[in-house]
Amino acid sequence: MVWNMSEKNSNPADGRAAAKTVTRRDFVAAIGGIGIGAILAGAGVSAFLVGDEVYAVEASGGYLLVDTKKCGACETCMLACSLAHSGRTNVNLSRLQLTKNPLGCFPLDVQQNQCRQCPYPSCVDACPTGAMHADPETGVRLVAEGKCIGCERCIEACPFTPSRVQWNYEDKCAQKCDLCLNTPYWDQEGGPCGKQACVEVCPMRAISFTRTIPRQSDEGYDVNLRNEHWAIIGFPIDDAGRVRPDVSVPTASVVPPQPADAAEEE
Amino acid sequence: MSQATGGFVGKILIIDLTNQTAETIDSEPYQQWGGGHGMGSALFWDYCEDKTVGPFDEGNVVTVCANPFSGTPVPSASARVEIQGIGSFADPEWFTRSSMGGRIAGMIKAAGYDAYVIKGKAPEKTWINIVNDEVEFHNADDLWGLDTAQTQETIWDYVTKGTPDGEWYTVGTTRDGGRTTQKPAVMCIGPTGENLGRTATITHDAGHHAGQSGLGAVWGSKNLKAVSFLGTGSVSVADPAALIDLRIEFQQKFAYNVDDPVLETPNPDAAVYGFITRHPGFNGIYWNARDMISRPYGCQGCFRNCRHNFDDGVGNGIMCAASLFYMSADNLKDQVRAADLQNKLGMNGFETSIISYCRNLYKMGVMGPGKEIESNLPFDKFGSWEFAEAFIKAIAYREDIGADLAEGSMRAVKKWGRWEEDSANGTFQYPQWGYFYHYDPRLEVEWSYASIMSERDVNEHGLNWHVHWMPMICSMVGEEPLISAEEMVNRLAASTTLDDPMCFDYSEEGIYSDATIEKVAWMRHYGRFWVQSMGMCDWLWPHLIEYASPTGDPTPATPDFEPRMYKAVTGIDITFEESLEMGKKIYLLDRAIWHMQGRHRDQEVFAEFVYSLPTSAPYPLPVFEDGRWTYGTCMDRVLDRDRFETVKDRFYEHEGWDVSTGCPTRAALESYDLGYVADTLEAAGALQKG
Repeated sequence: MVWNMSEKNSNPADGRAAAKTVTRRDFVAAIGGIGIGAILAGAGVSAFLVGDEVYAVEASGGYLLVDTKKCGACETCMLACSLAHSGRTNVNLSRLQLTKNPLGCFPLDVQQNQCRQCPYPSCVDACPTGAMHADPETGVRLVAEGKCIGCERCIEACPFTPSRVQWNYEDKCAQKCDLCLNTPYWDQEGGPCGKQACVEVCPMRAISFTRTIPRQSDEGYDVNLRNEHWAIIGFPIDDAGRVRPDVSVPTASVVPPQPADAAEEE
Repeated sequence: MSQATGGFVGKILIIDLTNQTAETIDSEPYQQWGGGHGMGSALFWDYCEDKTVGPFDEGNVVTVCANPFSGTPVPSASARVEIQGIGSFADPEWFTRSSMGGRIAGMIKAAGYDAYVIKGKAPEKTWINIVNDEVEFHNADDLWGLDTAQTQETIWDYVTKGTPDGEWYTVGTTRDGGRTTQKPAVMCIGPTGENLGRTATITHDAGHHAGQSGLGAVWGSKNLKAVSFLGTGSVSVADPAALIDLRIEFQQKFAYNVDDPVLETPNPDAAVYGFITRHPGFNGIYWNARDMISRPYGCQGCFRNCRHNFDDGVGNGIMCAASLFYMSADNLKDQVRAADLQNKLGMNGFETSIISYCRNLYKMGVMGPGKEIESNLPFDKFGSWEFAEAFIKAIAYREDIGADLAEGSMRAVKKWGRWEEDSANGTFQYPQWGYFYHYDPRLEVEWSYASIMSERDVNEHGLNWHVHWMPMICSMVGEEPLISAEEMVNRLAASTTLDDPMCFDYSEEGIYSDATIEKVAWMRHYGRFWVQSMGMCDWLWPHLIEYASPTGDPTPATPDFEPRMYKAVTGIDITFEESLEMGKKIYLLDRAIWHMQGRHRDQEVFAEFVYSLPTSAPYPLPVFEDGRWTYGTCMDRVLDRDRFETVKDRFYEHEGWDVSTGCPTRAALESYDLGYVADTLEAAGALQKG
């Protein structure tokens, strides 16, 4: 499956077909963040023809990658996100939404739902006031809170589930991941040239940052960040998370063989 | 103590089951107790009008308290609630405590509450749905009989109106009521609690249990099946930037680097080494998780994530004793499956450990069909899934010998007429209050002394990881201890602030010393404040020795980090010494409640084997013998009955308790502004008991 984060677009074949029908809305709904960045990676600008319009958006200067099979479900990323941005902890107001079923089955029990800073940001496109925009300096997709009228079109436009744009019911405006560009309650410089709170606090190192536009698929954003050390402590390191760790890294490959004389004594 | 500017959300929910009503009170008057246990003891003191009632009496009160750290990124301290009330498990049935992690504490605060109190008894089977400031009482007939997983899944679906996993759910009727992608956090009981099994847990998510105090049966007696919280509110923090920086600093200094660890287990099959490295999933002690497929799964805010979620969902969250009780299983999966069933039926994993004792009785010809202790359980299939399932269900549904075991193992063994003999000869080692042997009460005495002078197995691992487990594990994998015994005691002396290495002398002389008494008191005071009142997980806190810091600096987190984190969250500047004084005050109040229940020092004696059965297996601990420190094997040791009584004399005096009765003195209580407690004790005649 090429993309499956949204139930609106569960069939990639349907998506490809829809992309050929050229109306903007259909195109956005069908394709989401797919394709354009891969096509124009390095160009700094995503520009393409949709129907009778030309649409141009700065590429984001950075992207969050996650490894959902490495996530420990501790929610620390969400606590740090809300704290850095608002000075309060609230998992519901975290820009990155970790969703989980404690009774579920690995690997589908946990999802790390991060904003993809889409090359073609339908949230930006949907905003009637320009509140949702690409930052001219960094390309990060941002909300200018003063311009937000609360229409929630950006939230509806996000092609992913759950929507990566959310309604901040405390501050009464839309909000989304800004790669920590605007974190008044954290002393570190954020954004594509700085640090991101979720990356810094993740104890499993299951979130990483890249300036390279990821391949526009689920797999492009949900990557394998696990190495042999992960298998040694008992967790799978293959991409699909289906191979027992003692197969990937056999104990005998880690424990040095006994000296010959010791073996003889036994 | 000054007023907190962060960490608390300001309200306590008072639930009256009898009248099916709820009200809120201001939490500010109780914030002086820190949160968690301290707050719970104070609430119990105020709300339980007759503290002499039994656990199943309508007058019993259960408190569930979060704390300022709940729902914040303070490492390994965000998740836990403290649950208190008169428990049904211990013998006698003391006012007691238990706790659980997961994501419950943060959700309670997100709903707007620092704590909740349960009074009375529901007239019908009931569950309670709390969504922010809305509290609904529901009939629980349809939930009664469901296991803990089924109960939670049913409630999740009801509360979110069937919203699929991972979608936004709008709380309330307008968008400003809040939105969430999170499932409600539910505390519930399983069939064991419904059937008033004294070994019943209160359970949350997959493997989070308040298990050791019989509070699940208390909920059952109140007709209370579940309490669900869904909250969308925020928690203010006094200094957000400082807190984030502290979290990052902590991880940089003390976290296991999963990509490139400084210290890695020398043998992947020895998962127990994780006790030292604290790697993710390290609770998979003794069983080899490398044969299975899983992820690490942690409580909210943790930096280690010590549990597992498996690819078939069976055994999610199991840990420690709950994962070990059926080690005799024919295969690993059945061991995990048995633990999973036990969790779903809502029973304490330590109590099901009696499975081995029962098998011994069967092999002795005492238990079985037509035997002295009648049982038709399939003991001939011991090790099979069939036997495990029959044994666990027998307890949950009070069938066969399970009818006796549901009363607690010690009560069962007494009923079977075997207590005197088996407790003396070591066949049945339950050293105090009906609780199991956890660590050797003859040797690791801060654990046993603290337990007998409290009300349950204390279950605080802060010292235990180092003094016992580190040298033990190293010997198991054929390595020398990571640090010498002398270095260990010196490091512990510094990080505890006790400044005396002799506090950690477990020799035959050392365990009766004044220095040991200082250590036991330190453990009680630290535990009461930081572990139980601030919800800091005892699988990390206190953090007394660092073996493999990525920075190369061996300085541990304790005693530096706790006050810094407390200040970042609450805005209150507290010294480590002041925090220990808070712990002492809380312990004093608990002690007063026990004496309201009739406690007397004469009750504080161990089971016979502790005094008369010599240790017979190596049990490494630091000892100072012949002028030098070593890790002793501590063989052939018993606890001297008379010398232990002198320990009690000195410990009571140290804590401000009357030496003849063990009751807190008026002077001690008044010195901690607890004169009103002294008045009540005096009115009850407790202060005069000699």
